[in-house]
Amino acid sequence: MTKENVLTLSDLVKQSAAEYGEKAFMQEKSGSNITELSFKDFYENTKRVNAFLKAFSAEKLHAAVIGPTSSAYLECYFGTVMGGNVIVPLDAQLPCPDICELLVRSDSSVFFFDSRYAPMIDAIRNNCGNIKKFVSLQSCEAADIALPDILAAFKPDESGAPKPVELASIVYTSGTTGKAKGVMLTHGNLIDNAMCRENESSPADVLLTVLPVHHVYCFTCDILLSLRYGATVCVNDSMLRIAQNLKLFRPTLILLVPMIVETIYKQIMAAAGAKKDIPAAAIAQAVFGGRLKGIYSGGAYLSPELIKGYNALGIPIAQGYGMTECSPRISTATLADEFSEAVGTIVNGCEVKIVEGEITVKSPSVMKGYYKDEAATAEALTPDGWLRTGDLGYVDEKNRVFITGRKKNLIILSNGENVSPEELENKFAMEDKVKEVLVYAEEGVITAEIFPNSDAFPGASDKDIAASMRELINKINENLPSAKTIRRIRLRKTEFDKTTSKKIRRNQTEQGEAI
Amino acid sequence: MFEQLKELIVNYVDVDPESITGESRFIEDLGFNSYDFMSLLGELEVTLGVTVDEQEIVKLHTVDEAIKYLESLKG
Repeated sequence: MTKENVLTLSDLVKQSAAEYGEKAFMQEKSGSNITELSFKDFYENTKRVNAFLKAFSAEKLHAAVIGPTSSAYLECYFGTVMGGNVIVPLDAQLPCPDICELLVRSDSSVFFFDSRYAPMIDAIRNNCGNIKKFVSLQSCEAADIALPDILAAFKPDESGAPKPVELASIVYTSGTTGKAKGVMLTHGNLIDNAMCRENESSPADVLLTVLPVHHVYCFTCDILLSLRYGATVCVNDSMLRIAQNLKLFRPTLILLVPMIVETIYKQIMAAAGAKKDIPAAAIAQAVFGGRLKGIYSGGAYLSPELIKGYNALGIPIAQGYGMTECSPRISTATLADEFSEAVGTIVNGCEVKIVEGEITVKSPSVMKGYYKDEAATAEALTPDGWLRTGDLGYVDEKNRVFITGRKKNLIILSNGENVSPEELENKFAMEDKVKEVLVYAEEGVITAEIFPNSDAFPGASDKDIAASMRELINKINENLPSAKTIRRIRLRKTEFDKTTSKKIRRNQTEQGEAI
Repeated sequence: MFEQLKELIVNYVDVDPESITGESRFIEDLGFNSYDFMSLLGELEVTLGVTVDEQEIVKLHTVDEAIKYLESLKG
């Protein structure tokens, strides 16, 4: 597969079928069995989804998709984009009101959903008049039609092939202003990123995909790279069962975020402590199924101590750096690299320039802009096409990127989720019990530091106020995706210090008492 | 079940087993991250022979709540 014969996502699926044919592209659990889907059959199925969309609309359209990773999800994804339509992958953890908001904002007219969302479909039908077709990934009564029926009824059709400059996907990501921004990625953007390194994988490789597929990091590095190199993608059916699935699928490569890297390390060390007669390296290999070559880590910064810890166990970790707006890779290390605190070397075709300490990037992977948000686009992209990352850092003489801090106010959790503090602070706006609030991450935990409104608590004891705040946070958490829930509360006795424009200074953290 | 859970908890977080009580909150008091907690429940699925519902996990905050939920699965 070359940059000459693969210019779009449609080309990638077609070429993968031509080169890898009957080989297994995906493996997933089905009850107590494992089912396989070949590269060729995957391509055929995406063409049937394209035929369905063409029959539904002669015009190009936007289709949203929600659900955990599955072959059905990816058939809908690629079936949408192969005919020049635009896919909008939604966060599977979003609560119903947020799903409705993004379905409307993204101008989607088709909604592909995993059947576990069936209980929400009535509400979505009532709130999103723009959705004209509800398609479930599995048979489901709430849908207008189900994917298995589409695959049975429609003949493969690959018409409408898009050009590289055409929009392929709108990916919503937490913005610093508190409102999710729709990152517009073209076919050319995603393909450039999938092609920005050589020899990363091969048909002999087996990947266990564990990260949320709506994230570009997972989509590009697990899915697009497997299509490119002919590797097999095995689906982790639940975050609860990574340990079980590692032993079942025995991956050779795995893409993780620091939180999971750390937890698995703790498990290995606990097992090594309990079984002193077995070398820790042997335990580590057994935990990963026995044939792991290495781990790729991204989404957030991985501590050098963990990299050293894994290296000591004979497992190399290659750390990378990127952002959704860059499809996502800006720099990556390889498994053969020597230990470094860098976040890898700059990928092919990507230019990095440091402007007043901030990392700025220009590459064919950089987004077209934010969907229907010119102001945010102008803030992120310079007129000559440089993307302001909001990260502070430098590049050394070996082209390695080092991150030293953040310019923008965004919480990056160790599971790779980006959380806007303002988005969470806005949830308190209508609460008369709270006078001021500051949200930040403390030891990786989302914390709300609150100055209660004493007028709302006449004669109440500190204990009563604390109980009332816990109740309030529980109420707010009910409407948040679990990754964004507030898990620690601190109560202040004094107001926050403010700037001259009456904004709370954000450096006043961990001053209130934790309750 | 409490003792069994305590033994597993100390594999994830650096706490004195004697300090763990039924009221201990996994994240706030014991220092779990969200994936530690998922992973712990995954281990318990295997040892207890039950299937945990991911949608229910968000409702579990304390050791007692986890025990009550797991016992309900065992029936």
